[in-house]
Amino acid sequence: MHGRVKVRTTEEERERKKKEQALKVRSYRAAMGRIQKKREAGELDNEMLSLTVQILLRNPDVSTLWNIRRECVLEKLSKLKEEEATYETPTDEKLEEEKQTGEEKDKASEKKTLPEDKAHSYFTCELDLTEQCLMVNPKSYNAWHHRSWILEKNPRADWQREVHLCNKYLKFDERNFHTWDYRRYVTEKAMVPAAQELDFCTDKIKVNFSNYSSWHHRSLLLPGLYPNQQRDRPMSEEKLQKELEMVLTAAFTDPNDSSAWFYQRWLLGSGAQLDRAPRIAAFRLESHGAVLALDKPYPDIKQLRTELVGGEKTVLLNSWLPLDKLGTSWKCQQNFDYQRNSSYSLWLSDQIVNLSPMSGSENGAHYFAPPHGTTTCSKDLLAELQTQLQSCLDLLEFEPDSKWTLLTSALLMRAIDFSANHETSLTNLAKLEKVDSLRQGYYKDLAARWTLESELARWPQSAGFPKTFDIADKVLLESLPYGQYLVIADEITLPSKLREKLGDSLPKTFADLKRLS
Amino acid sequence: MSDDLPEQFDLVVIGTGFTESCIAAAASRVGKSVLHLDSNEYYGDVWSSFSMDALCARFDQKTEPHSSLRNAKYTWHTTESESEGDAPTWNRDSVLAKSRRFSLDLCPRILYAAGELVQLLIKSNICRYAEFRAVDHVCMRHNGEIVSVPCSRSDVFNTKTLTIVEKRLLMKFLTACNDYGEDKCNEDSLEFRGRTFLEYLQAQRVTEKISSCVMQAIAMCGPTTSFEEGMQRTQRFLGSLGRYGNTPFLFPMYGCGELPQCFCRLCAVYGGIYCLKRPVDDIALDSNSNEFLLSSAGKTLRAKNVVSAPGYPPVSKGIELKPHISRGLFISSSPLGNEELNKGGGGVNLLRLLDDAGAREAFLIQLSHYTGACPEGLYIFHLTTPALSEDPASDLAVFTSHLFDQSDAQIIFSSYFTIAAQSSKSPAAEHIYYTDPPTYELDYDAAIANARDIFGKLFPEADFLPRAPDPEEIVVDGEDPSALNEHSLPEDLRAQLHDMQQATQEMDIQD
Repeated sequence: MHGRVKVRTTEEERERKKKEQALKVRSYRAAMGRIQKKREAGELDNEMLSLTVQILLRNPDVSTLWNIRRECVLEKLSKLKEEEATYETPTDEKLEEEKQTGEEKDKASEKKTLPEDKAHSYFTCELDLTEQCLMVNPKSYNAWHHRSWILEKNPRADWQREVHLCNKYLKFDERNFHTWDYRRYVTEKAMVPAAQELDFCTDKIKVNFSNYSSWHHRSLLLPGLYPNQQRDRPMSEEKLQKELEMVLTAAFTDPNDSSAWFYQRWLLGSGAQLDRAPRIAAFRLESHGAVLALDKPYPDIKQLRTELVGGEKTVLLNSWLPLDKLGTSWKCQQNFDYQRNSSYSLWLSDQIVNLSPMSGSENGAHYFAPPHGTTTCSKDLLAELQTQLQSCLDLLEFEPDSKWTLLTSALLMRAIDFSANHETSLTNLAKLEKVDSLRQGYYKDLAARWTLESELARWPQSAGFPKTFDIADKVLLESLPYGQYLVIADEITLPSKLREKLGDSLPKTFADLKRLS
Repeated sequence: MSDDLPEQFDLVVIGTGFTESCIAAAASRVGKSVLHLDSNEYYGDVWSSFSMDALCARFDQKTEPHSSLRNAKYTWHTTESESEGDAPTWNRDSVLAKSRRFSLDLCPRILYAAGELVQLLIKSNICRYAEFRAVDHVCMRHNGEIVSVPCSRSDVFNTKTLTIVEKRLLMKFLTACNDYGEDKCNEDSLEFRGRTFLEYLQAQRVTEKISSCVMQAIAMCGPTTSFEEGMQRTQRFLGSLGRYGNTPFLFPMYGCGELPQCFCRLCAVYGGIYCLKRPVDDIALDSNSNEFLLSSAGKTLRAKNVVSAPGYPPVSKGIELKPHISRGLFISSSPLGNEELNKGGGGVNLLRLLDDAGAREAFLIQLSHYTGACPEGLYIFHLTTPALSEDPASDLAVFTSHLFDQSDAQIIFSSYFTIAAQSSKSPAAEHIYYTDPPTYELDYDAAIANARDIFGKLFPEADFLPRAPDPEEIVVDGEDPSALNEHSLPEDLRAQLHDMQQATQEMDIQD
């Protein structure tokens, strides 16, 4: 029979694929060879463009080729400029002449707009190419970068179109972080209102909430849209309440998906920005010197202006020496003419704090702000937090070992009243060490932080403050975070086990420093 | 009728319904010579879809004693021409004017996205002949209202009808069902073996609302369904989630009548011969050759095997039919349920209905114009229930009263009919394989099992519908099958190959 159907065997198919592969490799090498030669010869022409297209369409991740294309585009643009310069702008007389014949006039106007249009067409061509490449690999760093480079070069870039493109790509894959990143860039350029962006983001979360990128996108939009006046929460309390509600719904729908829980932690946090300036944590002053602790590491304290105001004088503190490697605690060995009767205040850049005099007959003054300050919260928000906590507790009845629920209920308790719920939240952490033993160290560290936060918050009420700091021997502590806060004390008493563990790396005290100097 | 049909076949299939077409395709695919006949002038038999005109004409036809479609009645609920106000209103004339835009199924079905049929279509590569639309909502009746059942994770997240703890319970319950039967099987569930699914559900401390979601729409159970059966049904539902669209279901574009035709097409590609409008008058067994002699249109055909749809050949052989499925088919100018269920002009919605006692059930499938089965602005409601009597309207009354009496659905056309099934086999039919009539089921599982079973008996050694190759995998005789044909390369690669050869010469590169 003629032309009878016969199916290729897998063996034959494999053989054929192999040959095809070899052919592709050969043509790739040949094309790359040609491109190199042309580049050496400085031939940045149309042939170069078409050669690179062939390869980029199959593999959009060859950075060199994108660089060559950029060179080609720049070359073409500079040629256009030259052309433009040599092109004679028609004088009025000439225009008059040309008006007589309509045809010629058309030609003239055509010529006039040509260079700009030409440039635009180069850019469009590059944009089309990146679009095709992104279909091949939607996560190609090179293609995304080339796209933004082209848009920046093009004075007629259509940013609105880019936003639509992002919509389209995010419909295909709502979790592509490249697209989200690019989206932030183009929405800013296209001046898309933040509220509209937030709606878009909400829609994407509705489709699939297991999406770190869209939660992150939210966290960038919300503080600007719903600012918090007190600056102790990431956004206004009304909005925060709604966000908490939404994120807990996601977390309860699928507790194993971590993206929602992470967002919730951000919501329950203070909204502090990573790049914010350090704040004064503790300060103590005597006639012969001073110590300063910052709430976060800041290795280059000289960039911050530190001034002591009091006794009708302003002293610039500028000879700071580090007390630890991180740059959280510092000493200054300047001499001050300390006046017991005057009140002093300390400036750190734009932060100003009032110092309290040392008790008794001692000369000197101090300042102390515990790491976990008491944050106030509105009735409505408090009610929401309590509802959420109740939901978590309900859930724990069904699933006592649910890791994220245990952690979240501890966080919620702390957000409601961190000192009253301190013991209970530690119990949750102890349980977490068992049910999620792979992250044992993390929970121990968290427990240590919470314990210190609690101890430090209570410290100002203790009799020996600020000269002695005590942690009862029965308190379980694996490490000593917030050590820099203790720099204003003369004597520190720690649980014996922790003391043993720390060995020589005990935090420095004010008394130590006096002795040393 | 002059024809040059061959006279000898491995298999003659009578009737182009779903099951018959499936067998015909399978036989043809493994190289058997197949003749496929149908006395109707259309494909699909009772599995077919009709235009509006054709359906009415079919309903008007006199019912033959052996005809499996019967008790058909239809009514137009509008006056012939009625135009008041600015809004165009639908009436008989305007609907009939768009007759060809309809695909009205006698046996509508919904496919599980990972169900038997979908798997078969993919495995056999028949899927390239068909298109589908994902079902938009799976619904249930709750407190007299039609509500959407949250099926996917994002549905559960977005629904406002469940509290967050309920959401957790529902998700947890579904996850437990999904894991059931695997090694990590929950020990608590073992004690429910032999008890009912409802008992298990109640033991999970789920709320009433979750319980109805699961019983009515997800597991599609009744109060007496066993634990194992309920688990299996739930797993079937869950296993089909997340494949296409938001629900676990698909509906064939342009109606279910497309599906038998897809199989016929594969049969024809492998050499099967088709004759519509070709009744078979008599079948006899030639005891010498052990072959069947079929007389059709004055011609005698010889076949080693015969497969027939129920009701063929004529009933004179003593075949009796009894009612099997009661059907209602309605056309409305408004969809069922609220706005939320019909966003963007409505889609395909599936609703399983129960009578007040929970003893009888029916499926309602709502189709919008997105399925290509009706014109824009109109909706088809297909109602299907197992038959109790020869009166489909009374069989369905309990469901229609729930659905239409309290709603403001604007019904324009309503019709009722019965699909009948053979009650006993004729004596002469012993060697003929009769396919089963359409079973009352959502998907095609029973029909496929039936086709597979008959095919296995006919050709015990052969593979049932192995994958059909794509055109580019086929080699023509005399070709070296492992050769790389330059013409089969993509165009730009071919151009590049030429460039490359040129470059190699110019640059004097050795391979």
